[in-house]
Amino acid sequence: MNAAKKNSTQDIDFSPVDVLIIGAGASGGTVAWNLADTKMRIVCLEQGGWTNPAQYPSSGRDWETRAQSDFSINPNRRAQPADYPVNDDDCPIKVANFNGVGGGTVLYAGHYPRFHPSDFKVNTLDGVADDWPIDYSTLEPFYNENDRMTGVSGLAGDPAYPAKQSVMPPLPMGLSGQTIAKGFNKLGWHWWPSDSAIATQPYAGRDKCINLGACLHGCAQGAKASTDITYWPEAIRAGVELRTWCRVKEITVGEDGMASGVVYFDADGVEQFQAAHVVIMACNGVGTPRILLNSTSEQFPDGLANNSSGLVGKNLMLHPYSSVQGIFEEELDGYRGPVDSIWSQEFYETNAKRDFVRGYTYEFTRGRGPVATALTGVHSGRIPWGAGHHAAYRRLYNRIAGMVAICEDLPEEHNTVTLDPQLTDAHGIPAPKMTYRISDNSQKMLDFSIERASEVLTVAGAKDLLIESPIAGGGWHLMGTARMGTDPKTSVVNEWGRSHDVRNLFIVDGSIFVTSAGVNPTRTIQALALYISDQIKKRLTNLFD
Amino acid sequence: MTNTIASDHPLTRQEQALLQKLCRLIVPADAAYQVPGADDPSIFADILQSVRTNLEPIKLGIDIASGLDVPIEQATPMLEGRAELAPLVSIVMQCYYRDDRVMEALGMEARAPFPKGYEVPQGDWSMLEAVQARGKIWRDA
Ligand SMILES: Cc1cc2nc3c(=O)[nH]c(=O)nc-3n(C[C@H](O)[C@H](O)[C@H](O)COP(=O)(O)OP(=O)(O)OC[C@H]3O[C@@H](n4cnc5c(N)ncnc54)[C@H](O)[C@@H]3O)c2cc1C
Repeated sequence: MNAAKKNSTQDIDFSPVDVLIIGAGASGGTVAWNLADTKMRIVCLEQGGWTNPAQYPSSGRDWETRAQSDFSINPNRRAQPADYPVNDDDCPIKVANFNGVGGGTVLYAGHYPRFHPSDFKVNTLDGVADDWPIDYSTLEPFYNENDRMTGVSGLAGDPAYPAKQSVMPPLPMGLSGQTIAKGFNKLGWHWWPSDSAIATQPYAGRDKCINLGACLHGCAQGAKASTDITYWPEAIRAGVELRTWCRVKEITVGEDGMASGVVYFDADGVEQFQAAHVVIMACNGVGTPRILLNSTSEQFPDGLANNSSGLVGKNLMLHPYSSVQGIFEEELDGYRGPVDSIWSQEFYETNAKRDFVRGYTYEFTRGRGPVATALTGVHSGRIPWGAGHHAAYRRLYNRIAGMVAICEDLPEEHNTVTLDPQLTDAHGIPAPKMTYRISDNSQKMLDFSIERASEVLTVAGAKDLLIESPIAGGGWHLMGTARMGTDPKTSVVNEWGRSHDVRNLFIVDGSIFVTSAGVNPTRTIQALALYISDQIKKRLTNLFD
Repeated sequence: MTNTIASDHPLTRQEQALLQKLCRLIVPADAAYQVPGADDPSIFADILQSVRTNLEPIKLGIDIASGLDVPIEQATPMLEGRAELAPLVSIVMQCYYRDDRVMEALGMEARAPFPKGYEVPQGDWSMLEAVQARGKIWRDA
């Protein structure tokens, strides 16, 4: 993995800062940019470095190998200096993330759906989980602003959503999308071009997508809107200081019970203290509870911000995914083209005739690279060793296309992020442990999604099906572990992201999700980060009241 | 082919020779498709280089293969599909399917995806008319 030169600590000004952000990922970059115009002194500490897009895997012939090693989506396999280990032995869905400027957006697919209005009212509508303390209309202006900053491609008029803008034309359907869409039309099911954080035209200094097909390993073209190339350059230009290779160990508190600053290890491994008037957590649904639980004190013996509710690290939601891929006779796109293409929300809203509540989105997937095709075939018994290898390979190559179902996961207190009693990172900081079970509701939804996907792919002409459920490596959406709400007994932060227990501590990442919806979370994480930072700006004179 | 065997390699010469036979067993050359086998000298050199980073599971695979009481050429029924050999098979596929000749035989340009990229057809967007005709499907809240 390429990483830019580490910071020198010599020139760092350790005097107290107005705002200290921890984590430079999707939400960290967004909140930094939005607060920059206040002219406060803002510092962000990020445990990783900058990546150099020219050295992403797709610029080399070994791109599929690097996708399994230094650019693996799994931090335990990647094991780079920026990474911390995560014990996910007790979790059927393994963690996926990226640690460095841009956070998970460096590797994300760029699927960029919004929540639906109904997603904020799950309890009222379906009698499960809890309603959010805010609604779609609260977030709508922030969705719009984030769409402009990010550059979202798509097509206006999707009947599965209230009216929303599209900044750029949609990504190509390609042969794969068109083939599957025909199946959906035959069954009369909804589908639509995906909203995507991938530029289809030159946009804000970024070039358009050229169909490299390697979105999940970093976009060498710079067409995919990761926050290292969207929000961060603008935030830094506006005066935000980003300190890379700085891993936060704990947040300290003063006698008044307010956060006083953070202890962190700098690029040389030296422990430092940075005092701050406001601390904002943006380390994702695993990294944030980990730091809070590591920040124990007399006032907060069970972890920071955890006194009133005891819910820090609880209600972990992951979005169990199923994957159903068809094998077609005719040649399709293969791996060429972005991961994103078209989606279906036919089964998104609750339907009383089904044996589960809530629903899911199908996201269509294009094919696989030459190596992934071979491994799929060999491991599933479709490509033999020996003489039959080449003929069998050609029956799969460029002929696989299908979909994944991203299933709404409901919050359950027994799904947790805790501290592992033994495992630590390279700095000796206790590592997180994920404990998670797929609920009955999610399992029924997964099963239903496989049946329907098999039906539509067969109608579309697939001759054989490859099924995986849940996607074992698919723990890429980390949500719910410091949930938002109005009641301090049942939530960690209030309806504008401030900790109930610590009045100068805010959380802006996926931890604060109350429910997960049946869509990818990042557009909503970033809209929330804009909304919360907007609230901070509006309340600057009485922020701690 | 002997020039492929590297003397400074963590696998012994014997292990390298067995590995090369295993590679041939997994992906043999095929004149009909105009492709080399995975035991081809340059592909095998790539495999030997690649196994350095993941040596233990590869050695395990080689040990299993060498412990059989049949010649390696007849070992497919005993080895194919065994989980212990998955890391080895993975490296063989990674190196085989990035070889120029193999890529070209598949109709691919032998190059990295970036910077040239690929063309992908738009598709027929008029197919959306049927979807639009159904009207709103989201739930009021
Ligand atoms: C392979 C993959 C595919 C994905 N695809 C999609 C998709 O298509 N659509 C979508 O919406 N989402 C997708 N996601 C998820 C998306 O990346 C996350 O939802 C999003 O990045 C989360 O934002 P965040 O701000 O909560 O955290 P992150 O973006 O994860 O950022 C957290 C940052 O905090 C830093 N950090 C953590 N601990 C510390 C510490 N102790 N000290 C200092 N810094 C620290 C980390 O290094 C990291 O940079 C995908 C993720 C992956 C891995």
